[in-house]
Amino acid sequence: MEKIISVKEWTLAIRLNHWAMALSIFILIVTGFYIATPFTITQGETVDKFFMGNVRFVHLLFGVFLVFLFIWRIYLAFFSRFHADWKDFLAFTNIKNFIHQIKFYLLITKEGPEYKTLYGPLQSLAYLGLLFMVFVICITGLILMGAGYHAGLTSVAYTILRPVENLLGGLATVRYIHHVFTWFFVLFIVVHIYMAFWYDFVLKKGTVSSMISGNVFKKVKE
Amino acid sequence: MAKGNNSDYKKMIDKHYKDLMKHCQSHMEQVEKTLPEPRENLHELLKERGITRRDFVKWTSAMTAALMLPPIFKPMVAKAAENFSRIPVVWLHFAECTGCTEALLRSSYPNVDDILLETISLEYHETLMAASGYQAKECLDKALRDFSGKFICVIEGAIPMGLDGKYLTIGPKGKTGLEIAKEVTSKAAATICIGSCSAFGGIQAANPNPTDAVSIKKAIGIPTVNIAGCPPNVVNFTGTLLHYIMFGGLPAQDGLGRPIWAYGKRIHDYCERRPHYDASEYVNEWGDAGALKGWCLYKVGCKGPYTYANCGRVRFNEGISWPIMAGHGCIGCTEPAFWDTMAPLEKPLPDKSFNNREATVDNIGIALTGITALGIAAHATATALRHKDEDQATKQEVKHHE
Repeated sequence: MEKIISVKEWTLAIRLNHWAMALSIFILIVTGFYIATPFTITQGETVDKFFMGNVRFVHLLFGVFLVFLFIWRIYLAFFSRFHADWKDFLAFTNIKNFIHQIKFYLLITKEGPEYKTLYGPLQSLAYLGLLFMVFVICITGLILMGAGYHAGLTSVAYTILRPVENLLGGLATVRYIHHVFTWFFVLFIVVHIYMAFWYDFVLKKGTVSSMISGNVFKKVKE
Repeated sequence: MAKGNNSDYKKMIDKHYKDLMKHCQSHMEQVEKTLPEPRENLHELLKERGITRRDFVKWTSAMTAALMLPPIFKPMVAKAAENFSRIPVVWLHFAECTGCTEALLRSSYPNVDDILLETISLEYHETLMAASGYQAKECLDKALRDFSGKFICVIEGAIPMGLDGKYLTIGPKGKTGLEIAKEVTSKAAATICIGSCSAFGGIQAANPNPTDAVSIKKAIGIPTVNIAGCPPNVVNFTGTLLHYIMFGGLPAQDGLGRPIWAYGKRIHDYCERRPHYDASEYVNEWGDAGALKGWCLYKVGCKGPYTYANCGRVRFNEGISWPIMAGHGCIGCTEPAFWDTMAPLEKPLPDKSFNNREATVDNIGIALTGITALGIAAHATATALRHKDEDQATKQEVKHHE
């Protein structure tokens, strides 16, 4: 007789981090695209308007938020009390599983590979890529922020990052990289949401709800 | 420094400036003793040109403030201006358009800066000197002999490194720019790079850079002060020279060798159109209603947010105007490789196209997102067909349980 049990997969910290990052990234993409190609507000007096200023405030606020969320996520990966998952990010090194996973995604095989890590081989690569994207967007963002604000932690970060700015070839290049990486985030989100639903549909483990409840379902034999 | 210790802070600052003043005074005495007499009497020259004493004092105030010094240094700035023509200068031209010389020496209403530059003790300047050929070469050799280790070398133009530097040969002996630059800078007290060409390579170093032109710093590997700009502001050059006369050293520089007093803040930070930026008031195309109202030029390609320079504060042509005031966006000419990184100059940065084709990063991004969405739709359909039997099995199981 088979029985379905609920197994804990995501710790509370990881779930909080996930949704806080999701919210931040969503807001950052929307405000970011406004800053890149703003529309003009023609009505009213200049003194009464501060739309770009407000949008930039929200963008910077959630940008700094993302920096700290990134640091928190890296901390969790190495020092989480429950499951420090840094090794799971290296699941892609298992070539056999990697190929098997691709076959599974291309619907050649009906069963995916067995792995004990938190992430599958392709997932681990995607999430490593995501962390790299967050890292790059945070660094370039801090440079762009520090160029205009000369006080507090921002100026400390900018003093450290100024050589990086010069190395990349000035603020214009930094700004361009920031813009290009925004598109990577858009593409990631589209694929990530689809894959979560796809897993939910194919494996029927409750993947989508697991990022809220923290639990997935497993079939066990009694 | 804590706010409660305001008096301590003030004392510290006072002491700092007093020390600086002492250093300045002793250095000026040194200058007056060791360097040759001023070629021209500045005050007589100013009188000749119709610049009153009052104008001169006003200029010293402005210059002292521009150099970020407190008002007690005003007399020292005036004294440095009087001694301006004591410093021997060797001015070299390499791969460039001579636009910097033109911009610095030609103006319809010469102000104190321009007159100062006329008094400059130019031992060698290819554009201005009467000598040519072997005579010119002799002038340079004599300057190097007479003022070895004392003169300031001002360099205008990049150095082409291709073909062993033979893209640029100067003078009767056909020496390459690289050889001349090495010879002269090795004997100079300091090297000032004027203009974006000598500072960062400039237009000849822009993609595809056929002559492999590089900046002076890269070509010879010596530290240089970079008065960046295309052309740079005359104030930034005279200010740096004044600083050298006053303190015997070059001003503090940022990571790219630009003096912080002039290149410490962005155009965007001091732009007079900045309130329109924050208020979402943009010029959408040249000559539209926004342009008439003087709105922000961000959407017609202003590169002010990415450019460190003081154009908005000191302006050009005796403070008459500057590019953004005149209605065109900043093109970012004080930044390295600006011809490449700031392109397209009259469109926002994300409108840069790839490999001279039409597509911008936004076009590509939208296309990729669309392709991904189509792929997802196809994959979802295929999955539904492929895993159909499992789905039916689950349904049967549910029925079975009921």
